[in-house]
Amino acid sequence: MRRLILFIVVTGAVLGCFAAVTWWVDPLGEIWKPGALATAQRDDCLISQELIGNSYFSFKLAVFHDRPTRTFVVGSSRVLKIASHPHERSFANLGYPGTAPSTILQLIHALPASPRQTMYVGVEAFWFNRHYRVPDTNPSDYHLAEYLISRSAFWNAFTFARQVSYVRYPDRWRRTMVGDRCTIGRTYPSINWALDGSRVWSWELDPTRFQRIYPTPYRGNLNAWRNGYYADWTTIDQARVTQLEHALALARARGWRVVGFAPPEPVTIQHILDTDPRIAPQWRAFLRLMPQVFGRYHDPWIGLGVRCPPSAFPDLFHSDAACSMRLRSRLDEAARRGS
Amino acid sequence: MLFNSFPFLFVFLPAVAVAYFVVPQHRLRLLLVIAASYYFYAYADWWFPALMAGSTAISYTTGRLLETETDERRRKLGLATGIAGVLALLAYFKYTAFAGGYALDFVHVLTRESFPDARTFFHGIVLPIGISFYTFEGISYMVDVYRGTLRAERDLLRYAFFISFFPHLIAGPIVRYGILQPQLTQKHRFDADRIRSGLMLFALGLAKKVLIADGIAHWVDHYLATPGQLGLVNAWACAVGFGFQIYFDFSGYSDMALGLARIFGIELPWNFDRPYRSASPTEFWRRWHVTLSTWLRDYLYIPLGGNRKGQRRQDLNLLATMGLGGLWHGASLNFVAWGLYHGVLLAGTHHGRRRGLSLPRPIAVAVTFVLVVLGWVLFRMRSAHGIAQLYAGMFGLHGIGGLPGHLALYIAIAAAIVFGLPEEWRWPVGRWNVAYVAATAVLFAVAVSSVYTSHPFIYFRF
Repeated sequence: MRRLILFIVVTGAVLGCFAAVTWWVDPLGEIWKPGALATAQRDDCLISQELIGNSYFSFKLAVFHDRPTRTFVVGSSRVLKIASHPHERSFANLGYPGTAPSTILQLIHALPASPRQTMYVGVEAFWFNRHYRVPDTNPSDYHLAEYLISRSAFWNAFTFARQVSYVRYPDRWRRTMVGDRCTIGRTYPSINWALDGSRVWSWELDPTRFQRIYPTPYRGNLNAWRNGYYADWTTIDQARVTQLEHALALARARGWRVVGFAPPEPVTIQHILDTDPRIAPQWRAFLRLMPQVFGRYHDPWIGLGVRCPPSAFPDLFHSDAACSMRLRSRLDEAARRGS
Repeated sequence: MLFNSFPFLFVFLPAVAVAYFVVPQHRLRLLLVIAASYYFYAYADWWFPALMAGSTAISYTTGRLLETETDERRRKLGLATGIAGVLALLAYFKYTAFAGGYALDFVHVLTRESFPDARTFFHGIVLPIGISFYTFEGISYMVDVYRGTLRAERDLLRYAFFISFFPHLIAGPIVRYGILQPQLTQKHRFDADRIRSGLMLFALGLAKKVLIADGIAHWVDHYLATPGQLGLVNAWACAVGFGFQIYFDFSGYSDMALGLARIFGIELPWNFDRPYRSASPTEFWRRWHVTLSTWLRDYLYIPLGGNRKGQRRQDLNLLATMGLGGLWHGASLNFVAWGLYHGVLLAGTHHGRRRGLSLPRPIAVAVTFVLVVLGWVLFRMRSAHGIAQLYAGMFGLHGIGGLPGHLALYIAIAAAIVFGLPEEWRWPVGRWNVAYVAATAVLFAVAVSSVYTSHPFIYFRF
C-alpha cells in the first residue's frame, strides 16, 4: 500500500512541478495574470499583449471591474481604439480580437446587471459568415489543465526562464519603456493595452524601434484578404443573428442603453464591399438587417457611424485613435438621444 | 477515448477503478465495467456500442445453441451462421469500401462510367475501431464451443464483459474466453500491490508509446513525406525507424492493456516478447502480436490443413493464412502484400530447415531483422509508388544520403532497449523497491505530460 501511495504521490508531485513552472512563466500566454494588471495600474503603465495572450475574456472582465464602468464598447479588434477621454474612469473598452455574437452574450452574462450600463456594440458583417471561426478567447479549465501539465509547454517555460532572468521568481514580468510610456511586459511588447482596455500599438509610441503595420492589399483572393473572414460567404448565418438578439434582449431586460454600429471602413474597402459580387449581396443584407435587429429592441443603430480619411486606417482595416474617438462622440450622442 | 489522453488518465480510469472497488457485489462490478466499457467505446462514436452489442449477441447466442444442439449438421450450420453473422459486420464496415472501390475502378475501365454516388457511399462507410479485434474474439469463442474445448457461457454478463472489457477492446490483445472465464467467476479483492504493479506496467507502456514511438514517428513521418529524396542511409534509417516505431507503439499499447486489466484483477495474455531478437521469421511470429498469430494458427492455418497435407499444401496454407492476416490489418493491397511477403518468408524458413540450412544465431537475428524491416516498407507506404521509391532508396538508387541525427539517436535508444532488456511484462514490477517505484513514477509523469502532443496508436485503425 505504501508503495502504491508513493507511486501516486511522486507522479502527482512531478506533474505539479511541471504545472507550477508552466503557470509561472506561461510561455504561450494561456493564463490570465491579474497581478500584471495590478502592477500596470499601480505604476500607471500599459500592459503588454505578451501577458494577456489568449485570455482576453478574463482581462476585459478585470478591466470592467477595476473601474467604475458605466459605458463600455464591445466588438472586434476594429473597435479597440475607442478609448476613454482624459481622466474619464467610467468608460471601458471590452472589445477584443475574436469577438462574435456568442462571446458578447457570454460577456454580458458575466457582467453585473446593475448599475445600469450604456453598451456600444460594434457589429462586424463577417460575424454572419458561417465560415468565420470564432477563436477560443476564454480557455476552459480543462484546456488550461492540459496546458499546465503538457511537456512541450513546460519545456518552453523552462527554456524561457533559463534565457531571461525577469521571469524567474519572484518576478514574472518587467517594466519597460516604449517611447515615453511604460509598459508591463516581457521581451518585445509590440502591442499594449491601456488600463481602459483600449489598444496601443508600440509603433505608435516609438516608430524608430517598432515596425508599423502595413495594409494587406486586396487582390481578389478572399481567402487571403482580412484573414479570410469574407471567404465562402453565401448567406447571413441566422444562428449568429439569434445570438446577437439574445445579447440585446438581455441588455434590454437589464435596462441598459445600447447603441449599435458597424466599425468604420476606408472608402476603398467600402467600395469592395459594395461591388464585389461574392460579398456585396451579403454586405447589403447585413446593412439592411442590423437596423431591424436593433430596432426590435428599441436600440439605435448608427451604421458605419463616421467617415474617416484613408490615412486613418494604417492597415486598411483598423481605424486610428482620431477616427475612433470621432466615432465615440457619435455613439455618445446617439446614446444621449436614445435616452 | 485513447489511453494516451487526459480524459482517460484523469477522469475515466480513476473513476472506474474507484467505483469498481467500492461496489461490493461481484455481479454489480461486472455490470459497472461493462457500462464503463460501452461508454468508453461510445466516446469514439455514439453508435459503435450498438454494433458491439450486436456482435456480442450473435456469438453468445451461437455458443448457447452449439452447446444444446446435438445434431452435427445443425451444429455446423449454427457455427457457420454465427461466424458469417459477425464476419458480415466486419466485412461490411471494413471491406465494402475496399472491394467496392476496386469493382468500380474495374467497371470504369470497361465502361468509362465513374459512379460518383456509389463512390460517395463507399467513402461514407466509417470503420468502427476495435471491430477486427472483438470479431476475432467472438469467432474463437464460437469455434472453441463447437470443438468442445470450452463450455458455452450461460451468463450473458460475463460474456459481455469478455467482449467489451475496455483494456483490450480497441487494439487487443485478442483474448480467448478460456483465459478470461475462470477469472470472471470470483470477486477480486482490493490488492494495493497488484494495483501498483498494474499501474507501473501501464506507465511503462505509456512511456514506450509517447516517449519513444511518438518521438520516432515525428522524424519518420517527416522523412517519408518525400520518399523519393531518401538516399541509402536515410531510407534505411526510416525503415528501421518505422520498425521500432510500430513495435514501441503496439507493444506499448499491449503493456498498457495488460496493466489496466491487472488493476481490475484480470490477467490478459501477453502479446510481444522482443520480436526483433528472433532468429527466424517463424520465431518472429512467435514473439510479434502473439495473440493474433496464434489465433491465425489455431483458427485458420490448422483448419486449412496446416503442415499435415504435404509441403506444397503447407506453403499454400502459409500464404493464405498470412495473406488473410495482412488483409485483417487493413483493407488495402499493401497489407495483403505485407502478409504474403511474410507467408513467403515462413515457407522459405521451412524449406531452409528441411534442407538443413542454419546460421549462427547473431547472424540469423540480423538477417531476420533486415527481412522484417524490408516487409515494414509494404506496411508503412500505402501507395505502390511510395513503396517503390523507398525500396529504390534502400537499394542505393537515390545515392547514399545523410544520417538523420535525431532519428538515429531514437533508433539507438530503441535498439538498446530492445536488445538489452527483456519485454516489460516480464519485469518484476510487483517486487520493485522504493527507488524503482519512484523512478517509474517520474517516468510516468513525464509520459503523462507528453500525451498532449501524442499520436493515435497505429493499430487503432485496424
